[in-house]
Amino acid sequence: MVERAPVTISGTYAVSAFGRGVDALLAGVLSGVPAFRPVGRFATTGRRVTVAATRPDVATLPQELADAVDAACVTAGLDPAQRAGAALLLATHGGPATLAGPYTDDRPVADTDDPWWADGERDDAGPAWPELPTLAVRLARRCGLGGPTRVYTTACVSASSAVADAAAMIHRGDTDRVVVAAGYLVEPDQFALFDAGRALAADGAVRPFSVGRQGLLLGDGVAAVVLESAAALRARGGSPVATLVGWGRAGDAHHPCQPDPQGAGLARAVGAALGRAGLPAGAVGYVNANATGTGFSDASEAAALRLALGEQAGQVPVSSTKALHGHALEASGLLELVVTVAALGHGKLPVNAGWLGPDPACPLDVVTAAPRPVTSRYALSLNAAFGGANTALLVGAP
Amino acid sequence: MTGTRGPGHGIVPGRPAGHGAPRVLAQACWPEPGDGPPPPLPGFVHSAFAPLVAAAAGRCLERRPSPAPAGSRCAVVLVSAAGDRPSALHVRSTVAAGGRVGPLFFFQSVPNSVAGQVAARWGLTGPVVCLSPTGDPRADATAEGELLLYDGDADEALLVLIDEAPDATPTGAVAVLLGGGDSQ
Repeated sequence: MVERAPVTISGTYAVSAFGRGVDALLAGVLSGVPAFRPVGRFATTGRRVTVAATRPDVATLPQELADAVDAACVTAGLDPAQRAGAALLLATHGGPATLAGPYTDDRPVADTDDPWWADGERDDAGPAWPELPTLAVRLARRCGLGGPTRVYTTACVSASSAVADAAAMIHRGDTDRVVVAAGYLVEPDQFALFDAGRALAADGAVRPFSVGRQGLLLGDGVAAVVLESAAALRARGGSPVATLVGWGRAGDAHHPCQPDPQGAGLARAVGAALGRAGLPAGAVGYVNANATGTGFSDASEAAALRLALGEQAGQVPVSSTKALHGHALEASGLLELVVTVAALGHGKLPVNAGWLGPDPACPLDVVTAAPRPVTSRYALSLNAAFGGANTALLVGAP
Repeated sequence: MTGTRGPGHGIVPGRPAGHGAPRVLAQACWPEPGDGPPPPLPGFVHSAFAPLVAAAAGRCLERRPSPAPAGSRCAVVLVSAAGDRPSALHVRSTVAAGGRVGPLFFFQSVPNSVAGQVAARWGLTGPVVCLSPTGDPRADATAEGELLLYDGDADEALLVLIDEAPDATPTGAVAVLLGGGDSQ
């Protein structure tokens, strides 16, 4: 058994509807003002819902991913040699090519150049979108990441699963440094599917854990995070922005699409994260919840928190920032990890927008009116997905 | 198997030698000699993707030499080049034509759905992970299964790999049950 080593987070970056960079994201989630607006980048004629949290001006998804990786590596202070030893774990949608972006003023614009991600290949629509594995290899090469690559397509826990795996790889001694990148830009196919599944909030607002919640809304999210062993970070004279003290993944074994109403899988993921950290439930001072604003799903998460944290569950501040930046699907876990790290560092907990009143099925201490001060060094970021997949990431202040 | 490059490309290098090496407890394919199309899977439409996953997984689990120990947590690791591509292409063409897609396509829009169906059917309470292979698919799946076993979130891992024809039609599935790796 290799010796366990702490895992640090040394660099973060995110693009969301609130803007570019961690500061813009933090300011947005502390403002409490949701970023949803009418979708302009594709037709929503005939859809039940016509809004999403889109950023008006974005490049193509591959370019945004590359820029995010570069920015996170710069924030972490990695030099080219240190990048060359880093692995890349990419989390994004696994379907056939969806050419998301570029957009100007939330309208599609032609990309007539020969972008690096197409490598000279074109089709009728312009530069040819590569298959995901090819994209990952090109992204790694473009960003100077020379370690192994892996691509996660495990729906809304793609990014958080990648983070857990990155930490496990570092713990096992496979590598000292992993860059996790994730991206989703709102596009017509997933929008149509969520609309057809009646998963989107018809009232145009996301109300996690609240009475009267009607569903989720989609949002742009591209993020990158650098994880390193504490020894490697120390050896190069770097400073952590946070520590990933624990992580856990577990399945519900309940249903293809619906969460276990008892929340057993998510509770086991939280328990695994606490167990790895060697911390009691009472150490958790904030939960960035998965809550999508969906009736049965939010109630399931509340049940999971009761199972995992016991009586503490009703006293821990909880918020779901999906009410503000929207649901970034495969990228949601990384976007919300960046929010959680930034909130701990800044000392303020973001609000849970859209609140209409308490739901007896969700007996939690939801942060509603205004940001609250951080009172503990530790925070959980939770995610759940179709297939009964659950993850918990336990973050510690540096 | 689509997406195959050089063997071993997807294996994370530097893993301490001899650590966590899992044993293959059972394996199966669909189709095997004498098989026709996989049995239909209630709730899944249009494509053979989900039925193939469920058929190969079920056959593999039925072949395990002894029952899983009580409380054992088995992960589901589903590796496919691009998920259920026929369904996604149907959605693409329907949306592009200004039409409405059926709600069932929402529920099967990610590979997690059938992975969760398998987990629910067989009581597999470990992590659910879907990957798009950057190297040899079986090596990628094995590397992920090994990592989950080593890390302690799973006691066993059911790996399922999808074969595709050149036109992206799913043609078969391979399932491998791993167990016995060290855990922390």
